[in-house]
Amino acid sequence: MRPWSLLLVLLVALPLVAGVATLPPHDAPDAPIHTQVGALYLERGVAETGMKNLVTAVLLNYRGFDTFIEVVVIFTALAAVLALPKGSAPLPKGNAPLPKGSAPVPKGNAPLPQPDAARSQGVGGARSREEEAPEVASDVPVSPVVRFVVRLLAPFIAMFAVAMLFRGHITPGGGFQAAAVFAAVFIALGLVLGQDRAARLVPVDWRPWLQGVAPLAFALVAWIGWRLTGAFLGYPIDDHTVQEAMGFVLEIAIAVGGGVVLARIFLEMET
Amino acid sequence: MQPFGLDLDYVAVVALFCVGLYMLVAKSNLLKKLLGLNVMETSVFAFIVTAGMVEGGDPPIMVAGTSAPYASPIPHAMVLTGIVVAVSVTAVALALIVQIHAHFGTIEIDELKELP
Repeated sequence: MRPWSLLLVLLVALPLVAGVATLPPHDAPDAPIHTQVGALYLERGVAETGMKNLVTAVLLNYRGFDTFIEVVVIFTALAAVLALPKGSAPLPKGNAPLPKGSAPVPKGNAPLPQPDAARSQGVGGARSREEEAPEVASDVPVSPVVRFVVRLLAPFIAMFAVAMLFRGHITPGGGFQAAAVFAAVFIALGLVLGQDRAARLVPVDWRPWLQGVAPLAFALVAWIGWRLTGAFLGYPIDDHTVQEAMGFVLEIAIAVGGGVVLARIFLEMET
Repeated sequence: MQPFGLDLDYVAVVALFCVGLYMLVAKSNLLKKLLGLNVMETSVFAFIVTAGMVEGGDPPIMVAGTSAPYASPIPHAMVLTGIVVAVSVTAVALALIVQIHAHFGTIEIDELKELP
């Protein structure tokens, strides 16, 4: 199809293979990744952070700024998705319950007259494709089996997410993982029950706060840490109770905020 | 197992990366391009996590039942950052693709180029 594609892939693959050939074996205990700062974290992490799960310790404590910006990044992605004008194509069903998203619709239509003009002239295959699309995209009937299984499993999957959140300090898991599973349950329910019923799970009035809760909680905890220790996002090193409380607030905020952001992105895709 | 001094786990990661790259450059469907990008991202995550594992390692969680050697905790935190960025990129790209489809009725690059 495009002969230069394979050539390009080969050109990229050769230096990559040459590069990984110089690396130490992936499970060698004396590789630099296990002897440098990682070894220090393993040695002193529990004493310094009070967290038994050292991945969480790295996330929230040693690399707290990284995670702070991370939640800002995903919040920004939602802002970017919301900022796009809702499509110029006629919406199949007026979706009123989105307070901010629905506002730009009239503006979005105005400055883009060319596509409509082009379409009315009939641009070959593009036009037929466009006419077929709504049938495919709209009411695809959901199999009763799929609907039943998803509705049956949803509470258990949600409970698994809660368990990952609240047991995350001693087992693999944590806020981000719980957020991903929460959002997955929401999207599965949205696909089988219809987007409108799923959207009711997140009250409209709370959405702006829930979407921003992760960056806000990080800012709050960072400020508290600053008051306590004099360093932005600092953790009081000798008070494990306060450390755990700060980490707990952050984990819950990440789980709720991340889950709501992902769910809202899904809702925006559907309309 | 290391034929020719190559670590097969890393070679598999490179192969996955190349599959994603091929999808990205060879396909003209924007959704397939995005899928290719995600395959590339996944290969990078697999590479980082693989590098952080140690022979017979336990997860770096200091509770009863785990013992040294532990896997390095840093790659896991790094990969979490990468996943969040990948999800954000995917979300914005999908929203843009929806927009493109709504405006032009197609998401094939070939057909989009022919539009006036």
